[in-house]
Amino acid sequence: MLPRPRTHRALTLAIMMAGATGCDRAPTTAADDGQWTMPARDYAATRFSGLSEITAANAKDLRPTWSFSTGVLGGHEGQPLVVGSTMYVVTPWPNVLYAFDLTQEGYPLRWKYRPFVDPQAIGMACCDIVNRGAFYADGKIVFNLLDGHTVAVDAATGREIWKTRVGDLNAGETTPMAPLVVKNRVIVGNAGGEMGVRGWVKGLDLGTGAILWTGYNTGSDTDVLASPATFKPFYQTGNGLALESWPRDGWKHGGAPVWGWLSYDAELDLVYYGTGNPAPYNADRRPGDNRWATSVLARHPGDGSLRWAYQFTPADNWDYDSTQEMILTELTLGGRLRKVLVHFDKNGFAYVLDRATGELLSAEPYVPVNWARRVDLATGRPEIDSTKLTGATRGVTKDICPSLEGGKNQQPAAYSPLTQWFYLSTSNLCMDFEAVSTTYLAGTPYVGASTPYTAGPGGHLGAFIAWDPVTSARAWEIKEPYPVWSGALTTGGGVVFYGTLDGWFKAVDAKTGAPLWKFKVGSGVVGNPISFRGPDGRQYVAVYAGIGGDWFLISGDVRSDDPADVRAPATFMPDIARHTSQGGIVWIFGL
Amino acid sequence: MTRLHKMRVSRGSPAATAMLLLCCASSAAAQQAVPPAVRYDQHVAVGGNPPPAMVPRNPFRGDSGVAAQGGRLFSGFNCDGCHGGGAAGFVGPSLADGRWRYGGDDGAIFMSIFFGRPKGMPAFGGTLPAESIWRLVTYLQSFQPPDSTISTTRW
Repeated sequence: MLPRPRTHRALTLAIMMAGATGCDRAPTTAADDGQWTMPARDYAATRFSGLSEITAANAKDLRPTWSFSTGVLGGHEGQPLVVGSTMYVVTPWPNVLYAFDLTQEGYPLRWKYRPFVDPQAIGMACCDIVNRGAFYADGKIVFNLLDGHTVAVDAATGREIWKTRVGDLNAGETTPMAPLVVKNRVIVGNAGGEMGVRGWVKGLDLGTGAILWTGYNTGSDTDVLASPATFKPFYQTGNGLALESWPRDGWKHGGAPVWGWLSYDAELDLVYYGTGNPAPYNADRRPGDNRWATSVLARHPGDGSLRWAYQFTPADNWDYDSTQEMILTELTLGGRLRKVLVHFDKNGFAYVLDRATGELLSAEPYVPVNWARRVDLATGRPEIDSTKLTGATRGVTKDICPSLEGGKNQQPAAYSPLTQWFYLSTSNLCMDFEAVSTTYLAGTPYVGASTPYTAGPGGHLGAFIAWDPVTSARAWEIKEPYPVWSGALTTGGGVVFYGTLDGWFKAVDAKTGAPLWKFKVGSGVVGNPISFRGPDGRQYVAVYAGIGGDWFLISGDVRSDDPADVRAPATFMPDIARHTSQGGIVWIFGL
Repeated sequence: MTRLHKMRVSRGSPAATAMLLLCCASSAAAQQAVPPAVRYDQHVAVGGNPPPAMVPRNPFRGDSGVAAQGGRLFSGFNCDGCHGGGAAGFVGPSLADGRWRYGGDDGAIFMSIFFGRPKGMPAFGGTLPAESIWRLVTYLQSFQPPDSTISTTRW
């Protein structure tokens, strides 16, 4: 076993001092402008707000100050934006964009934008009709419609500036992800790993919406935009890496979609994103590593050129998508300050990579893992337990941890420069996996697996944890009865926020995990809290309620809007429908 | 004034046309405007004598052997990918609960599979022969609907 690199905490940041004043109702820090203009608040995807009026001491006094029903029942993943004195909310399909005037009592609408979004997208999207949010840039709100379109809307007036068809709905492509805007490029990707799509990212012109480049995640070097002069993966050499790792033509319907989060390093001028599962689930159909499915890719945003890539789960047998966020920070490793990328994969390992080169620096389990013993830092490859492999020829493979819901799924983690810990929601589920042969039919699921879940070790189904990247261990843990599916928010006041599937929104102490406050928000939380400074100078926290995503599919009877769809309770959590039903509500809390 | 305005807005809309037909039900001209031989059971009748319906019948209804074949088609054509194993509901609605968005008689289920439906149900009419669609219908008709009241005693 190779020694784990020794890690040391980076030096404190100025913002830490600002946040540590602990003064009740202190004015918010000058370091934070009080806005939330992109999905993860910053390009490094930290979801850290420097605002510090709400503290561990006063969080008990939080109260709801406003709420708004979106009129939509789909899973409310994603998060609002706050730009100046306006809050923007994109709903799940049909992707209504609301602009709320925060300067007036009751926050009335300035305008709302109602695009036409093809209802066929409802059945094409694998996992409910979610939208993961908008991005503000250059006076425009840019976001994706579920049916394969990207739109830019005038942030002041709600007027549509451009609308571009980026995906082919008939081929099963949908677009639930939140775009990332870098300079004058809008970068978007497709979903559809369960429909046998071919994953890509596209770079659009921010001014016109014109598609300037397309980078596929599978196929020839030309299609992948991997030029030998600029593409330098750390662990591989040679040409055709995303072609020769597939059976003949397998890459054409091989998945590797992009439905998660993107981040960006301005100094390196690299955009980072993760790719989803290879298709179909039945691994017998696709011998090979299936690059670049279940990978992180680093591309130059100007021309899309691929600079490096690293595959977390070669030849994925378990639907371990890697679309989770890549959080950018700096760590001193082996006495050397390194620019790193931290990623909590569905496969249960927490990865630290050098984000300039793609070199793996550490990989340790953050939830119970049994499909692999460890990840070899010399080769970058997992040491797989062969008894956990799946495929139609293997029948049922029992007791694989984590389940295909992942140690963590779409719900983004947060990083606090104050504690230098990561905060994340996790699932504690294991699964049996029975793969079956399946045929590709355009626009229908290309899956071929039955995967019943059971509770993981301990019996609780989820936990909210603080993760120390120095010791590769949990600093603290809050067990939850259900899988935890909300994003995390950390603040300059030393408070961490998250929501639960049974409909609680909670504040806990960032240092200790001690519960500080909770409120029942009306439906399960699968969205991501944000914090902003209102026009009145006060700190607020906003979050969506609205159970959905995978939990629309598998929670049993949590819908009440369709008299023709009644479902039996979920086997692994039969009582969730006691606590929540569908609903879409935007909440704001303050002191 | 308000009322007059509303009426003006609705003129020429389907609702207004229906009202017109209802008011003039006794006139021969209006009766001739009704298509003579097409009626959908799931549609709301507006009165009068309904014209004879076209009622397709499932040639395999109740045949458990055919239902089993339909179950294999249900997996083989990826229906279970959306509607779940055992058609219990997943991305798409449950088809095992005895309830139907678009009608549950033989012909309505056949048409849903053949032509597709608007919220993502693809049209399989160009992929599957009619006999295979009837096998799928037979499979879907073979389920015993679950209890629709979820009582707290279940917890």
